[in-house]
Amino acid sequence: MGSQKILVIGGGISGLTAAVEAAEVGYDVTLVEQTPYLGGRVTKMHSYFPKLCVPDCGLEINYRRIKMNPKVKIITQAEVENISGRPGDYEATVKVTPRMVNDNCTACGKCVEACPVEIPNEFNYGMDKCKAIYITNGMAFPQKYAINKEACDGCGKCKEVCEYNAIDLDMSEETLTIKAGGVVVATGWTPYEASNLDTLAFGKAPNVIANVMMERLAATDGPTQGKILRPSDSAEPKSIAFVQCAGSRDQNHLPYCSGVCCMGSLKQITYVKEQYPDAQISMFYIDIRAMGYLEDFLVKVQEMENVSLIKGKVAKITEVANGNLKLEVEDIAQGNKISPEVDLVVLATGLVPSKVPGDINYDEYGFVAPDNIGIVGAGCAKKPTDVSNSVMDATGATIKAIQSVVGGGA
Amino acid sequence: MAEKFGCYICSGCGIGDAVDVEGLAGIATKEGKAAVGKTHACLCNEEGIALITGDISGEGLDGIVIAACSSRAKVQEFTFETPVFVERVNLREHVAWCHTPGDEDTQMLAEDNIRMGCVKTSKASLPDAYEPEEEFGKDIMVVGGGITGICSALDVAKAGYTAHLVEKEPALGGMVNKLHKLYPKSSPYQELQDTGIEDKIKEVEANSRVTIHIGTEVEKTEGSPGIFNVTLKNGDTFKVGAIVQATGFKPYDASKLENLGYGKSPDVITNLQMEEMAQRGSIVRPSDGKEAQSVAFIQCAGQRDKDHLAYCSSTCCMTSLKQALYLTEQNPEAEAYIFYKDMRTPAQYEDFYKRAQEETGIFLAKGDVNSISPNGGKITVEVNDTLLGEDIAVEVDLVVLATGMVPNSFPETLKTEYDPETKEDVPVQEDSGMYAEPALGLEYRQGPELPTLKYGFPDSHFICFPYETRRTGIYAAGCVRQPQDTAACADDAAGAALKAIQCVEQTAKGMAVHPRTWDKSFPELFMQRCTQCKRCTIECPFGVYNEDEKTNPLPNPTRCRRCGICMGACPERIISFKDYSVDIIGSMVKAIEVPEEDEEKPRILAFMCENDAYPALDTAGMNHIQYNPWVRVIPLRCLGSINLIWISDAMNKGFDGVLLIGCVHGDDYQCHYMKGSELAETRASKIAETLQRLMLEAERVEVHQLQIDEWNKVPQIFDDFMETLEPFGPNPMKDF
Amino acid sequence: MSVAPDKETVDILLMQEEDQALFKICYQCGTCTGTCPWNLVRNFSVRTIMHKAQLGLIDFGEEDIWQCATCGACVSRCPRGVEIIDVMRAFRKIIAEMGVAKVPDSLRMSVKNIAALGNPMGEPDDKRGNWMEAAGVKPFTPETEYLYFSCCVPAFDGKIRRMATSLTEILNKAGIDFGALGNAEKCCGESVRKAGSESVFMSLAQSNIEAFAGAKKVIATSPHCYHTFKNEYPELGAEFEVMHYTQLLDQLIQDGKLTFSKEVKAKVIYHDPCYLGRHNDEYEAPRRVLQAIPGVELIEFPDNRQSALCCGGGGGRVWMETPVGERFSELKIEQAIEAGAEVLAVACPYCMLMFDDALLVTDKEDVLKIKDISELVAEAI
Repeated sequence: MGSQKILVIGGGISGLTAAVEAAEVGYDVTLVEQTPYLGGRVTKMHSYFPKLCVPDCGLEINYRRIKMNPKVKIITQAEVENISGRPGDYEATVKVTPRMVNDNCTACGKCVEACPVEIPNEFNYGMDKCKAIYITNGMAFPQKYAINKEACDGCGKCKEVCEYNAIDLDMSEETLTIKAGGVVVATGWTPYEASNLDTLAFGKAPNVIANVMMERLAATDGPTQGKILRPSDSAEPKSIAFVQCAGSRDQNHLPYCSGVCCMGSLKQITYVKEQYPDAQISMFYIDIRAMGYLEDFLVKVQEMENVSLIKGKVAKITEVANGNLKLEVEDIAQGNKISPEVDLVVLATGLVPSKVPGDINYDEYGFVAPDNIGIVGAGCAKKPTDVSNSVMDATGATIKAIQSVVGGGA
Repeated sequence: MAEKFGCYICSGCGIGDAVDVEGLAGIATKEGKAAVGKTHACLCNEEGIALITGDISGEGLDGIVIAACSSRAKVQEFTFETPVFVERVNLREHVAWCHTPGDEDTQMLAEDNIRMGCVKTSKASLPDAYEPEEEFGKDIMVVGGGITGICSALDVAKAGYTAHLVEKEPALGGMVNKLHKLYPKSSPYQELQDTGIEDKIKEVEANSRVTIHIGTEVEKTEGSPGIFNVTLKNGDTFKVGAIVQATGFKPYDASKLENLGYGKSPDVITNLQMEEMAQRGSIVRPSDGKEAQSVAFIQCAGQRDKDHLAYCSSTCCMTSLKQALYLTEQNPEAEAYIFYKDMRTPAQYEDFYKRAQEETGIFLAKGDVNSISPNGGKITVEVNDTLLGEDIAVEVDLVVLATGMVPNSFPETLKTEYDPETKEDVPVQEDSGMYAEPALGLEYRQGPELPTLKYGFPDSHFICFPYETRRTGIYAAGCVRQPQDTAACADDAAGAALKAIQCVEQTAKGMAVHPRTWDKSFPELFMQRCTQCKRCTIECPFGVYNEDEKTNPLPNPTRCRRCGICMGACPERIISFKDYSVDIIGSMVKAIEVPEEDEEKPRILAFMCENDAYPALDTAGMNHIQYNPWVRVIPLRCLGSINLIWISDAMNKGFDGVLLIGCVHGDDYQCHYMKGSELAETRASKIAETLQRLMLEAERVEVHQLQIDEWNKVPQIFDDFMETLEPFGPNPMKDF
Repeated sequence: MSVAPDKETVDILLMQEEDQALFKICYQCGTCTGTCPWNLVRNFSVRTIMHKAQLGLIDFGEEDIWQCATCGACVSRCPRGVEIIDVMRAFRKIIAEMGVAKVPDSLRMSVKNIAALGNPMGEPDDKRGNWMEAAGVKPFTPETEYLYFSCCVPAFDGKIRRMATSLTEILNKAGIDFGALGNAEKCCGESVRKAGSESVFMSLAQSNIEAFAGAKKVIATSPHCYHTFKNEYPELGAEFEVMHYTQLLDQLIQDGKLTFSKEVKAKVIYHDPCYLGRHNDEYEAPRRVLQAIPGVELIEFPDNRQSALCCGGGGGRVWMETPVGERFSELKIEQAIEAGAEVLAVACPYCMLMFDDALLVTDKEDVLKIKDISELVAEAI
């Protein structure tokens, strides 16, 4: 006997979309998310291209729709260990790591002051610190704190100050079995490990940052409250270089193109321009991929003053005096190598898909193959792409999951 | 309206430390007319909830005011099984967390919030679902029988619904019928694949849940979501609940590309003509029928070009690589030159790019074309090769211009309309329902077709919500929405099908669709006082209102997104929702206590849109940002629902200033109802006259755009406004 | 005036390396140009050369064709996996074998000498084994465990000889059973092949494989010899195992068969030979050996291992002229001194030649010493 439920794995923008859309058609949905909070990678972005609008805006609407819909069940800190079955009848084994904070939590924040343990703040890619008991930001959903189990030393001070009995240090790991008729795999991506790019000084020179870190610098709830500053000395950068295809389209790293980094860097150029109108900005690329009418945005940035888009892939970055960076790259239009010096470098690193173990076909790069039936991929778990296409994808994946429930995926 | 309601005040989360909750309970029962006024240390826990549910049954309450945290928190906890009207009063994020505890001003703020919550509860009712005269339909119409339409119809059918697929050509298949092969859509992305269109057509023809209407178009679509009554030109009629428009694209008119040689020689063709030729069996020179041994592909032909199509059509780079492989498959000695600006082969398509490069006969160079000239039987293409730093020239048998896609919604002839303000004929704007080429024939006063974006694509302009067009229940998919390839079209078709079935389900329950998907309320009009001014019919972003011969508005509630823009627009205030009306909000304004002038406590009223501005204020509270305690906040569903009478009410009440804070508008609008906040700003600019009659300065009303992440700007907005108001002195109406 | 692409030329180029797409898959990113060490001292757009190859527009008379030192830096970084060295070699093969243009004089001379006499210097081929007797190296027979191949340079060049004599001293002290072929061996042909003289390479390889008959394990002093023996000789019939001498020393030290009794107190900076490092992924054995020597403080160049800067001697360039001021070897001397090194340790005869020369030209002989690893080991045993 099959199940009428739909399981969505991953609570980022794709998973959220799939869950809320399925629930509003009338299906019961279980949404499992590995981290303590929903929203995934987009919560860490300052804005979306090309409108430069805020991710939290769309997330707020989605969260509201979810809050009002009893058909959506959310389980956070949940990792799918295995998924098996056939269209219409799937079973997922899910390990739930204890949050150690229960639903009584009102997010009042008293616990944070009491906690003695400081850890690198993963939400800000380690660029600042937070406590072992934390909430990501003001828009966090579920709106309750979480305790980082590895970091927690069990002192119990948070429990002492909590007025709502919301802290349960004895919470234990659980394993759940979830049945579903259709499954959407929306496990998203992780940024490619930039320290693998040994010629580009990431991890050695503090003023070489990754694109995802730039998003945090520009974000109001980021480590610098939205001011783009050089990590080494908190100085305002006067010259910034964006290095495209840092690890993508590269046999030695990720052979595929990560799809969104060209637009991502063009967008970040506008961040810099807004704060530092006189800054000298350069972007080094192989091919600029501004698809469809995103071309307008490319034209807009190209026409900005002090912005140079230069064809040529940066071969090497070396730290020189004062924390500055020297780039070695061929300026192809000129036909010779140049060695410009800049204050700050942003590496446009790519996306690596996150996989779920089980009866799922993946391609050689770890993306959910399009030929899966009953368990369908959505968003960046399926192919590296932007938010708009991820949402389109997730909406379509939802109907495929429904079809699996209705007709066993026929 | 609630016959008997209770007000419950939570003292948790620091609220009890910030304000005197017992005092607030007193305000609720006396001024607020609550039958019950209680406090509790933690309303959201089991005990707190039990207290409330106990009173609902015990006291027979049909309304509950919960004065505690924001309406955005603890939603499921404060949802009760018995249908009761629930009003949330924010005493936490907007009071306790951002104002001085124990302070007189903090208490006054809390008291006013209680007063507003109580008066709202006493006036609002739980909406009943809208029930039209006819039965709701759950079938879906898909207009356009190309790959997108076919996939959409199949997705609808496989999900258990019935689809009506309408195709104007004598056969299904659309543009894909013209394609010889497809470039690969799955790993390892090496081999060209068959289009599969024949199988797809057979599949949809065989599916019993799909009714195909071939060789015809839509004549007209009457009604609204759930009750669309469609008449086709061939006479077929049927009812559907939602519509998918998948009317595809037409190729850009290459006759405009004379500078690239089109028309100068028969051997200069378009990429589509190349496909058709390949499909016919061999790639030849049209001039003499001989097999083409050498072909030059010109990328971005008439695209990424201000003089032609400014955008990129996404698929042409991959298509030219594919067509180059057609050529070398036909003849391994053949030469294909691809001249590009940027090679756009994103994601895993990079593998196919590499595969095509491996082919000995394929050459690529980046550069601008200098000239394309027929040259004694051959064609010379001269290109400034950027990679070489010099000009190169090839002599080829055939030139293929990679021309772009124009959505079929793009009008064949651009229309004009008469503008009563300027008294001139002006071009019909893209976002008008009158702009697009006929496809749906909607019997909507605002026009028969979907409003489009800049280049004529009926896309939604929302990055997070690509299907939310400006017509409820009508979803665009495929190349009519954005230039995309067959795999993306199939995904898009699935997405649109989902939204369509979701719409019919929601509508049948009386619920709205995105974004207020829980909302059953709908606009009701008190026609006796209607002056046929047409503001509602024109301003509604979704075309909810049709018109009769006398220009009386005729609402179609299932088209409605429940924003209330019409309610705000109506100068006679005849439009209302059961739980959201001019009277309700007006009463809230009047319920606020404005201190007398000598108390020296100014009052600002801030109408804040609940989509971005209100959450921003919540986040300010979560970050414990302290700000001016003299501001009173009233959330609105959309700033566009602001009715000017509320501003007059506020001024009459003695408020020193009124702030309107909504979402960003303009070209990159974020307003969830498209132009709500823009309308609010325009409307507010007209209040100047009214203010002058009251002997008040026009600057006492300010409009702001706020993004959801700009919570740290809120205190500044309030403080700056206070500064602006200072020189004007207090509102003289205070003491009346 | 515009030039016209030429498919025929492309086909001929591709024929030089069958089953390889070569430059076809290059997507013109310019990483090669950005990486190529020539751009430290002059303008050299590797990418433009690849594009010219793509369009068949290569001018075979161009000097730049002979510029490449085959260091492999570009190949190791190329995101598309273009075998750039093979592309250069394809040009050179067409020139050298088909005579479509002139081979640079100095190179042509050396290849001619190798073809005729089995060594680039043009020394009589019967003098090749002369160094063996004084060094105590016996002739190799099929019963000998190891065949030691010294490389032409230590065999004929008195100054570089120390590489062979130090190593053989160590092997003798460690009781290793080894011998050399003397006059029966010829130049390994590695750089000859890189220089495009394919037919000369073939005949050298044939000759050596025959001469090596019965050899099971070969030790090479030069990474160039090591490279070709290991990667190119097997498909021509060679059946022996080959190791670079530093790998053998590393093994002996780890097995306890080689122990140190003296200190060599020095700051030693190690230069990764391109043909040991990038081409054959051996970065650590030489370093382990150096670190095992008591008293040695091992320091690194700012660019080391996969990113190491070439000495400029590969690809036949050791036999060609490079103008002063355009030599990588001079940059390396500077870098070594700046890093505080007292000794620059090498593991390749071409590197030693290039650095010895650069030291002279930059007049830094009393600041820095060039030593082969085997020399340092020999000083400490």
